[in-house]
Amino acid sequence: MNEFNELFIKYKDLITLAVYGTAIMLIIIGLYAVLLKKHLVKIVIGLSIIDAGVHLLFVAVGYIQTGTAPIFSPGYENAADKMVDPVPQALVLTAIVIGFAVTALALSLVIRLYKHHHTANIEQIKSLKW
Amino acid sequence: MVISPVHYIVAPLLAAFAIPLLSKIYKDAARVVPGIVLFYNVIISFVLMKQVLKQGMINEVIAGWQPPWGINLVLTPFTGFLAAMISVMGFIIWLYGFRFKRTLKGGVVKYYEILQMMMIAGSIGVIITGDLFNMFVFIEIVGITAYSLTAFYRDRNGAEAGFKYLLLGSLASTFLLLAILLIYTQTGTLNMAQIAERMPEVSSGIKITALVFFLIALGIEAEMFPLNGWAPDAYEQAPSPTSATFAAVVSIAGVYALVRILFTLFDVAGVHQYLIVMGFVTMLVAEIAAVSQKNLKRMLAYSSIGQVGLVLIAFGVGSPLAVFGALFLMLNHAVIKSLLFMTGSYFIYNSGEKRLEGLNGMHKRLPYVSALFSLAAFAIIGFPPFSGFWSKFYILIAASDQKMIFLIIGILLVTIIELVYYLRSVGRIYFAKEEMQDIAHKPSVNALIAMSFLALFIIIIGIYPDIITGYINQAAAALLDKTHYVQQILGSK
Amino acid sequence: MNPIISILLILFAGSVLAFGIDSINRKWTGWIAFISMLLAALNLFYLAQTSDLVFSLGGVSLKWGFSSLRLYFVYIILILSLLSFLYSIDYMKGKARLGYFYGAFLLTVLGMFGVVISKDFVSFFIFWEIMTWSSFLLIIYNAYYKVKTQGLKYMIFSAIGAYAMLTAIVFIYHYYGTFDIAVAIKGGVFSFENHIFIPLFFALGFAIKAAIMPFHIWAPSAYADSPMSFTAVFSGAMSKMGVFGLLLVLATYYALHNPDAYVFSQILAWLGGITAAMATIYALIQTDAKRLLAYSSISQLGYIVVALSTGTKLGVMAALYLAVLHAVFKGALFMVAGAVEKQAGTTDMTKISGLIRKMPWTFFVALVSVIALTGIPPVGGFVGKWLLYEALITESNNYFLVIVIFFSSTAAFLYAYRFLFGLFLGQEEKETENVKEAPIKMLIPMLILAIVAIVTGIMPGLIFKPAAVAMQEIGFENVNWQMTALSNVWGNQTDLSIIGMFIAAVFVLIFTFLTFKGKKNTRFVGTKDISSSGELWQEGENWTFQQDFYKPFERAAAPLYKYKMNKIWEDLGNALEAFFNFFRRIYTGNGQTYALYVIGFLALLLLFKDYIFK
Repeated sequence: MNEFNELFIKYKDLITLAVYGTAIMLIIIGLYAVLLKKHLVKIVIGLSIIDAGVHLLFVAVGYIQTGTAPIFSPGYENAADKMVDPVPQALVLTAIVIGFAVTALALSLVIRLYKHHHTANIEQIKSLKW
Repeated sequence: MVISPVHYIVAPLLAAFAIPLLSKIYKDAARVVPGIVLFYNVIISFVLMKQVLKQGMINEVIAGWQPPWGINLVLTPFTGFLAAMISVMGFIIWLYGFRFKRTLKGGVVKYYEILQMMMIAGSIGVIITGDLFNMFVFIEIVGITAYSLTAFYRDRNGAEAGFKYLLLGSLASTFLLLAILLIYTQTGTLNMAQIAERMPEVSSGIKITALVFFLIALGIEAEMFPLNGWAPDAYEQAPSPTSATFAAVVSIAGVYALVRILFTLFDVAGVHQYLIVMGFVTMLVAEIAAVSQKNLKRMLAYSSIGQVGLVLIAFGVGSPLAVFGALFLMLNHAVIKSLLFMTGSYFIYNSGEKRLEGLNGMHKRLPYVSALFSLAAFAIIGFPPFSGFWSKFYILIAASDQKMIFLIIGILLVTIIELVYYLRSVGRIYFAKEEMQDIAHKPSVNALIAMSFLALFIIIIGIYPDIITGYINQAAAALLDKTHYVQQILGSK
Repeated sequence: MNPIISILLILFAGSVLAFGIDSINRKWTGWIAFISMLLAALNLFYLAQTSDLVFSLGGVSLKWGFSSLRLYFVYIILILSLLSFLYSIDYMKGKARLGYFYGAFLLTVLGMFGVVISKDFVSFFIFWEIMTWSSFLLIIYNAYYKVKTQGLKYMIFSAIGAYAMLTAIVFIYHYYGTFDIAVAIKGGVFSFENHIFIPLFFALGFAIKAAIMPFHIWAPSAYADSPMSFTAVFSGAMSKMGVFGLLLVLATYYALHNPDAYVFSQILAWLGGITAAMATIYALIQTDAKRLLAYSSISQLGYIVVALSTGTKLGVMAALYLAVLHAVFKGALFMVAGAVEKQAGTTDMTKISGLIRKMPWTFFVALVSVIALTGIPPVGGFVGKWLLYEALITESNNYFLVIVIFFSSTAAFLYAYRFLFGLFLGQEEKETENVKEAPIKMLIPMLILAIVAIVTGIMPGLIFKPAAVAMQEIGFENVNWQMTALSNVWGNQTDLSIIGMFIAAVFVLIFTFLTFKGKKNTRFVGTKDISSSGELWQEGENWTFQQDFYKPFERAAAPLYKYKMNKIWEDLGNALEAFFNFFRRIYTGNGQTYALYVIGFLALLLLFKDYIFK
């Protein structure tokens, strides 16, 4: 466990970069899927990926190097300044739930669209326009 | 009697869970219970409004955690006014839709009623919450219920509109989250009052980036051009009571969120100009798109977007009188546009025709509904002596105080575009040859009461606006008085 | 109760009542409307001693009240409307949507009345709009296709005018801090030196209502296609609202005579002159009596505007006098057209002719009105024209304008004759064999108007008196007038009553002659009765005299007819609509495109955020 912590401290900047970079990459990948992929399911997947990226960003922001869980458990009574920020985690939990609901709804709509249009290509689904 | 604003949210939530159970005992529970809940909301909104006007802002702390740590609900004259308005409109729309689809089998009505109630409750939540993330959650509640309601008719167009709405709505929520994140990293808090207090210390680059994200996210909710691609489809495909709710409740909540964040949280110059320009573009594009619409509800949808554009312009002008005009216009828009959707729905129901041709010669079959539609059309164009005139008039006076002559001329020219298509449809109702003659579906009593109430409101406010101006004035003052807002909330810890 | 309130309440209640009662008993609708109009008009007796009504509404201080100028127009409105309502009872009998018609009609009258009694700009605008939309409802009364074209044209133009005024009104409040009309005028709102757009915008609004070229294109169809009983009021009284407004705007100019306003008034005078001339030329080629009258109406308003813009005592007096006279004879003429339409089924002059024997009283009214229209003594129109010419010749240096007015006034003879001849003279047609005289309720108002026209010709002082008082209000003191005589600047004086009596005697002689002649056994021959000349009438051939009535003239003026203002405006409207139709394609219907808009807009904002927000 200690070795792990040391490794962490050693490559701290790199890890931070990796986490933030991953988050931003996820958002960009998601946007790519949403904007350029024609398949409805891929678009929904893209939305989920964006969500994941944003959630990762949230967690990363609240993270403190070598911090502990924000719980006053035995052995950690005075560790308030070492605790990671609990708020972003709470937010992310909420956001994940919401994201789940939206994805489920989106997929059900996709199923219905496919049923009616016999295609999942978003370019062919535009009976409502102008 | 002391009522807490929490009831606004708790009552519908409880009812939403209870309805499936209750409908096992009593078949019509799904239809009746939302009415009771919404009526309860109306009552508490009046009680609370009275209290707010007498004693000042109510700051309700949830679960004993004082702000800025806990979530708080804030009722100022401004939010109280909007909450009361939404409650009343919600109740009237429930009354109108009481017999909606009662013939459908399989408990479909249950979903409709529950979702509708949740949507209204979520909108009230957006308005009364004092916490940024809480606002996000409520916006998502409104969003998810709205997507589902848009796709309520299980046909191809419903699903399509629902999907588009969902796509843009998800993007909005993403950007909203990002904006909240940026704000949180800089200020370390989610309480809006505290953010407002700490905002001056935030470096301007990040502040403006956060602002841009907010503008995009809430611009989608507030139907701002070019972010409003979802709106016409959703308005068109949703069941008519839901379209009315979109106009009277959801768009109001969207505009509220935008205005609250711009006016209270940020102290950035240029926001007003941005609102004026984008509001005008929104209005212009929407009215242009509305002129040659073939579909009645789509036409009304574009007109809704146009009205919201005018509201944004008025908020952009930003003087107390302009904000007053904007709030007045929001009220008028909620009343008039929902009346248009309600009456329009009966035309569609009677002719079985969603296109404008369905209006032809409708006055013979539905004389009273036709008269109400014409009244609402005249009111929304802004003909005196109907209520729509006054809001436009105040906005114009406010604009003239800032010497914005081109803005005034622009608004009035767009009004002429608006006038063209509304009068065309009124002309259709009264003078076009009707194509077929079958049995009229007369409006039910509850719908008639709901529509007459709205019509009465339009006429009475139009002839004697002083009834309502006092409240709106205080509401406008409350919105503009930012320091008071911050002090009241943070001082009470 | 204050008569203002009671008139407004009666009219409003009558409107609601008429609208409601139509579904119960259609026979009562007209009577209810007439009675409420009568009750409202009875209040005229209490008008003079009314104090102003000041109250606050929506944070704006409103002020209603009378003054001599306002009273002058109130009389025109209420009396003409009263006659027209009486006329309507029979004219509208058997038509659909009576409740709709009478409800909207009473609201229109309410609007006109309100416009005139408003002493502040806000209520002025409110009533102006009420008047506009309720009259729109009446214009589209006859058929749906008109909504798309004519009715909307009227509404769009009216809206442009009204909104121009609204813009000016809110800026008046910004600059002068008041909505009070009298205070604002005293403060120099309309003085051209401070904010030139304010008087211009107001003048635009009024010019549109008075159908001055190039904003007249709504007028011919609006006048011709509405129910005639409404057109009588529409053309007779509502267009006078434009005149009333122009009087208010020009009042400052009358008082100050500043050079900027001189240019403005010259432009206005020329617009009026061109309107008078062009509308006359167009009236000549109309084959439908209603359209002919509509164009004639436009041209008459041109005269009034010319008279107004001279800005002299005589000119303004001429304008006020003509305003009344135009209301009288044009009201009567439209009623005549309505009577013919009602009895003979059409007003197309190529289809009917020779109605004089069937409808002698209607003919009498038409004759008197036409005499008034062309300005021949002893009927009132002569006095108005006289004043106008005198004002133009002696007090303006604009001789070319005088020529234009002379020309159009002479040409008016042509169309007036065409109207009279086309409907009433000439050979009788088989189709009109069973036509009867108009019902008494339609004749009475027409005859009253004709008698007014004659009386004012002999005793113009009846109108001079209130007009002179009204002119004091806009800054003309000591207006001289005589009851039965006209005098000019050179000191000549003519006693009209002598002329009147002389001409009346001639009339009586002719009438007696005709009566005796009529006793003889005469066979009346129709146009199709041509077997004696060895020809047979073929189906579809039109042998009435109206066919190519003014062919040579039409040929001569053909180049003028080519350029139609109407077409320009219509092209503009169509182009705009096509553009709108194209533009709305940015809503492609593809959800992904909308997402692209969002991201693109985000990128734009992020790029330019430092320029937009500081």
